[in-house]
Amino acid sequence: MAAPNLANLSNDPLEPRVLIEGKQTDATLNDSLLQHVWRGAGKGWWACFSVALALLGLLVVAVTWTLYKGIGSWGNNIPVGWAFGIINFVWWIGIGHAGTLISAILLLLQQKWRTSINRFAEAMTLFAVICALLFPLIHTGRPWFAAYWLLPYPSTNGIWPQFKSPLVWDVFAVSTYFTVSLLFWFLGLIPDLASLRDSSKSPIKRRIYGLLAMGWRGSGRHWAEYKWAYLLLAGLSTPLVLSVHTIVSFDFAVSVLPGWHTTIFPPYFVAGAVFSGFAMVATWMIPARHFLGLKHVITIRHIENMCKVMLATGMMVTYGYIMEHFIAWYSGNPYEFSQFFRVRQRGPMAPVYWLMIFCNVLVPQLFWFKRVRTNLAIVWIASIFVNVGMWCERFTIVVTSLHRDFIPSSWKMYAPTWVDISLFAGTIGLFSTLFLLFLKFVPAVAVTEVKELRHEMAHDAEPRAAGGAH
Amino acid sequence: MSCEDNHDKKDADRKARRSRALTIVSGVSEAGRAGAAGTSAPDAASDAAADTASAPRYWRSVAERDRTAAWEQAAHREFPPGASELNDDVSRRSFMQLVGVSTAVAGFGVACRKPNEKIVPFVRRPEEVTPGNPQHFATAHELEGFATGLVVESHEGRPTKVEGNPDHPISLGAATSYDQALVLGLYDENRARQISRNGDPIAWRTFLDDVSRRGQALAADGGAKLRFLTEPTASPMLGDLRRRIIEKFPRAKFVSYSTLGGEAGFEGARLAFGRPLQPRQHFGEAAVILSLDADFLGDGPEQLRHSRHFAARREPGTNMNRLYVVEPSMTITGGMADHRQRLRGLDVAAFTLGLIAALTDRPGFESLAPLAGLARAQSAGKTWDAKWLAAVARDLEKNRGRSLVITGRRQPAAVHALVNALNVALGNLGKTVTFGAPVLVDGTNGALALGSLAEDIAAGQVDTLVITARNPAYTAPADLKFAQLLRRVPNTIYHTLYEDETAAASHTLVPAAHVLESWGDARAVDGTASIVQPLIAPLWGGIPESEILAAFVGDGDVGAHQLVRRYWKDRLGASQDFNAAWERWLADGVIAGTAVPAEEGLAVDAPALAGALSPLLAPKPEALELAFVRDAKVFDGRFGNNAWLQELPDPMTKLTWDNSLQISQTTAQKLGLETGDLVSVDFRQRKMEAAVMIVPGHVDEAVTLPLGYGRTGEGEAVAKGVGFNANLLRASDALWFGRGVTLTKLDERYKFGLTQDHWTMSPDGRDIPPPAVETPLMQLLKEGSEFHQELEARRGPAATIHTPVDYSSQKYKWAMAIDLNRCTGCNACVTACQSENNIPTVGKANVMKGREMHWIRIDRYFSGSVEDPTVITQPLACVHCESAPCEYVCPVNATVHSDEGLNEMAYNRCIGTRYCSNNCPYKVRRFNFLEYNGDVTAARQMGMNPDVTVRSRGIMEKCSFCVQRIERKRIDSRIAGVPIADGDIQTACQQGCPSAAITFGSLHDTNSRVSKLHASPRRYDLLHELGTRPRTAYLARVRNPNPELARAE
Repeated sequence: MAAPNLANLSNDPLEPRVLIEGKQTDATLNDSLLQHVWRGAGKGWWACFSVALALLGLLVVAVTWTLYKGIGSWGNNIPVGWAFGIINFVWWIGIGHAGTLISAILLLLQQKWRTSINRFAEAMTLFAVICALLFPLIHTGRPWFAAYWLLPYPSTNGIWPQFKSPLVWDVFAVSTYFTVSLLFWFLGLIPDLASLRDSSKSPIKRRIYGLLAMGWRGSGRHWAEYKWAYLLLAGLSTPLVLSVHTIVSFDFAVSVLPGWHTTIFPPYFVAGAVFSGFAMVATWMIPARHFLGLKHVITIRHIENMCKVMLATGMMVTYGYIMEHFIAWYSGNPYEFSQFFRVRQRGPMAPVYWLMIFCNVLVPQLFWFKRVRTNLAIVWIASIFVNVGMWCERFTIVVTSLHRDFIPSSWKMYAPTWVDISLFAGTIGLFSTLFLLFLKFVPAVAVTEVKELRHEMAHDAEPRAAGGAH
Repeated sequence: MSCEDNHDKKDADRKARRSRALTIVSGVSEAGRAGAAGTSAPDAASDAAADTASAPRYWRSVAERDRTAAWEQAAHREFPPGASELNDDVSRRSFMQLVGVSTAVAGFGVACRKPNEKIVPFVRRPEEVTPGNPQHFATAHELEGFATGLVVESHEGRPTKVEGNPDHPISLGAATSYDQALVLGLYDENRARQISRNGDPIAWRTFLDDVSRRGQALAADGGAKLRFLTEPTASPMLGDLRRRIIEKFPRAKFVSYSTLGGEAGFEGARLAFGRPLQPRQHFGEAAVILSLDADFLGDGPEQLRHSRHFAARREPGTNMNRLYVVEPSMTITGGMADHRQRLRGLDVAAFTLGLIAALTDRPGFESLAPLAGLARAQSAGKTWDAKWLAAVARDLEKNRGRSLVITGRRQPAAVHALVNALNVALGNLGKTVTFGAPVLVDGTNGALALGSLAEDIAAGQVDTLVITARNPAYTAPADLKFAQLLRRVPNTIYHTLYEDETAAASHTLVPAAHVLESWGDARAVDGTASIVQPLIAPLWGGIPESEILAAFVGDGDVGAHQLVRRYWKDRLGASQDFNAAWERWLADGVIAGTAVPAEEGLAVDAPALAGALSPLLAPKPEALELAFVRDAKVFDGRFGNNAWLQELPDPMTKLTWDNSLQISQTTAQKLGLETGDLVSVDFRQRKMEAAVMIVPGHVDEAVTLPLGYGRTGEGEAVAKGVGFNANLLRASDALWFGRGVTLTKLDERYKFGLTQDHWTMSPDGRDIPPPAVETPLMQLLKEGSEFHQELEARRGPAATIHTPVDYSSQKYKWAMAIDLNRCTGCNACVTACQSENNIPTVGKANVMKGREMHWIRIDRYFSGSVEDPTVITQPLACVHCESAPCEYVCPVNATVHSDEGLNEMAYNRCIGTRYCSNNCPYKVRRFNFLEYNGDVTAARQMGMNPDVTVRSRGIMEKCSFCVQRIERKRIDSRIAGVPIADGDIQTACQQGCPSAAITFGSLHDTNSRVSKLHASPRRYDLLHELGTRPRTAYLARVRNPNPELARAE
């Protein structure tokens, strides 16, 4: 692929943006964007896949051990009743948010640059939510009951879930989120699955892709219905971007614990979610566009835009931190003051807090600079820092708040066990496994939408070119 | 004699026993019926014996429970936090198995089974047993020779809970943790079970034949080579048996030995008054108390009575007593002190003399004049605070006849004698302190007594040694080399509860019957006798001590029951109806009229005393002092196999499953040590290793090492390898204190299992309302003071936008009040709760992770300087908030509020999200992180309270205000048709509390004790500002400082 044309990367919003590079036709796009599905699995893919699979195996072992031994195999204690389980849950859910934001909100806002990355991001949403969903279940003492007692169903014992508890809201929020994300992702895939069906050489693959394409023929009516459905689902997803993490934040905000009992949590959690989500998309996309040969559709412009989103949401998160501390001081509540100014900054868990500040507050400041935004290596490293920072943020909120609360006699330290660490590493394995499979079997870029975008841009360019001739 | 015989006898006498239970209808919960409901005790016992013969049943870690090879290696002292499961639990092989299982499970999900339960009903129901209704029997527990009267609750023949006997003069209804933990010890699977000779099992009959043959041989020279080594005892029946043995073997000798020996008190009385006497203090009469190294609230045979009487005079007001404590290391008595002076143990004698020197000049103290010269010479140039001593002297002088000076078991006879002289001079004799004839069969029972036996053994004078003392090979001072000497005795018969260190050096082993399995008798310090009656037939074929001794006079097959009956029948005389008296004694738990009267006309011969004391008070070298102390958890080690006691946090250090080398911060800094450093302790060419712990309030230039740890006995799986063996350094002439110890820091760290890591109420310096409130008396007496305003702000209705629930339509409004002024932090409530509510132990590794399960904990806070802190203890269980933060966050309604205001847990509904605990600002909820009750043995099941559900893994639990007791009384009251009266319901913690610090009742009854306490001017609510409206109110602690010293401060 040709090197990105930096001269074209003007910040003038009126300038047409380079969202597809080179001279492309439908056919070249079809070939280039589907080729990674038809190409045999390379050594690199297998190497990555075996690492991911090994981590997934670790996850299975850790989950089994947890179910066999109990939560005692984790590092949790009293007062630190929640730790890695909930941290990972919130972290993964947050990561999913980028996908929804890109696919839904940016669609409604008619941001064209989303086209090349939305499939990618939506898949990440789906897989991240799968990873997240594991934790609320296995972190309970008796998952075999938790699996259905949290659902409101009429049972003979006449007990309903307690609707005052944010954990019940969580069940609704996250399950809705998963369902809508799955539908949205799948709906967007249908035309591409049809393309795969049409271009596949083996009859079995054709049958499978055919089945998945749900009889898509590309008729005008299909397209009309499809567009409507897609738009409606986008509309449905939009509030979810805000609601899911708002409700997740209620798990904390509703409590009385200093460090949790904070009204700023909903917006601050949503911003944090988008922040970490975009970081995760960047972490995966930068290598993927290189190895899958997608540089012509996922251009440096896309990366730069993502950096800008990270910068914006990072600033929001920073604002959240500042307000938390301000209110802790301004409210005059000694417990809160102690939590924010003594325990977090100087307590035994302080290194995590300072790492969080470094990653989430300082690192995104790099994105003010275009030179940084266009340097893929730096962006990639920074995005990993942001992922780490957002995990540290959840650790600080969950563990640091819990380990020192009201009455000092019950203060205790927390240390994770091998099971905790395996579960976290294991979900990364699960995520990677699913993602590598996705890259192998499904077009990573929404081919249809890119083609459509090409047409639109071509169409936009014609009258301007014509006008210039006059 | 067999199990069945004993059981029959027990049945025959069952009618005679007291039954305090009145309930007719059972209110038993279904889930907790540990042990099949109708299984008769011996059957269950033999089942238990059969199915759990091998593995340890009380474990310190899950690994130990499973006995993995890794654990065996790590057992000694490696309990790494965090990553321990990998090392402990997953060997490579089990990891591979796990991987296999995981793979299977990954596909199919996990099936969890419920336990299979079998219920075997009674075929014929005993007449007096109504299944579900407990019976209560009075008995007594002899510790250090002195009895505490107990009432034991029994469910269908299975003792489940030990409580104090309110009619007993020492217990007054309370019981120590040691007493209460007896029930766990009873069902201990590690107990010795088999009579054996040189390792071969023999029958009881064979043993009797053996003794009889040996007796004939020994009788030839009058038993010159026969020795008995017993615990100190006051048992009249054992005294009588001893008399009969001596009759038969006139040259045989009895030696009493206890490692904590209380003989200094007798000897002190002998020095002062000319004859050995048992001192008795009366704290109810004392306005000013000076304790010279006496932990009278936490240690000693009268701690329960002392606690009750001391606390009674802590009511703030003009009658409030004042406590001065001089002690080397922090004790609960020191924690209660109004003024505390740190002093090394060997300096206490000089301090006492200093006090005498300060008083001799005053009018009215002429009787001390002969001691003046000695006092001045000895106390000159010492380092204590002279102003402090002068103030104490003045205070004592002002309160003549109402003051009390007391010293403890660690101080030598000379100090006891001086204290006696002081009390006499202060006019306290007959008022705050009295003396009675000693009730112990042997006055001397310390190292001297054992030393003479050791000499006899070394000289080959001993052919047959009968040991009924508790584990002398372990407890003996190191210089006696008693364990080696034991091996030189040709015939050793050891009567023991456990196959311990001494068992390893003995020939014949006779398993002892537990106190709850034996007939016998015992006497309290004041002489009051009690009949010890069994609650259950011996589970593992144990034999009572009396039967061993009786075997030597040919009565080995009579049985303890008949022995004790015969003795008391003879003693009662033929003129009275023995059976009626016997039944009354059993029912009351005390034998009226057996108390020893106070001696009259005692006088101190001061010149003689001065003469006698001068040689005893040799100057001590200036060097680092080593002190030993009884351990608050395992006593002298005898309770080492009791997991409840091992996991009971030390009242001051909050250490579980360990002892530590206690040291002051100053001295630690000087020696370059910090908490957790492993050091080599060298004392008189003997050495051991121990881990250092810095303890606030410890005296400088000294270290303290609690006894009872570092056990090596093979038969005690729980005790083995826990802590450090202080006995390795003890010498007969430095039993408690010695100078010249050296510490060498080793390149190793040690981890402690602490339940409370922080010392102060505000470790990070935050300005919060203190959880435990204290104030000086003058502040309290000043109406409208700052203190009152502060408390005012911490009670009453809290600001809320909700309408508080209206409880007025309910019949009862349960509430609790905890008086911090009375709480000493002795832990009796913790064990009471553990026993009542089937609370599991979790082991050191889990304590280190912060997973202890106690429903009530005692928070201990230091304030002031680390060197001279004041201490406050605060028991904290669920406070049953009316607006409970735990309730609204539970997603499945597993914790809900009752109409009467209890915050209840529905265990069956709990899924274990732990959100309730996170949101509990008091952090009183406890979570079953592992299956802590998973391997409860069949025997242990018998000791579970059937009224309380046994919780499984993954469930949250917490204090229920003993809801099972409330419900039982509710049933009673419904049947009787009268409301539950105030005081009818006692929670377990309240019942166990010796100082009556805990009160429970209904707030709807405005005359109830709890209502009055809730209206107290000292009342405040913990974390009131959160608006939780707790039902447990605290009463602020009030200190009564000497105005003279308070100003100086």
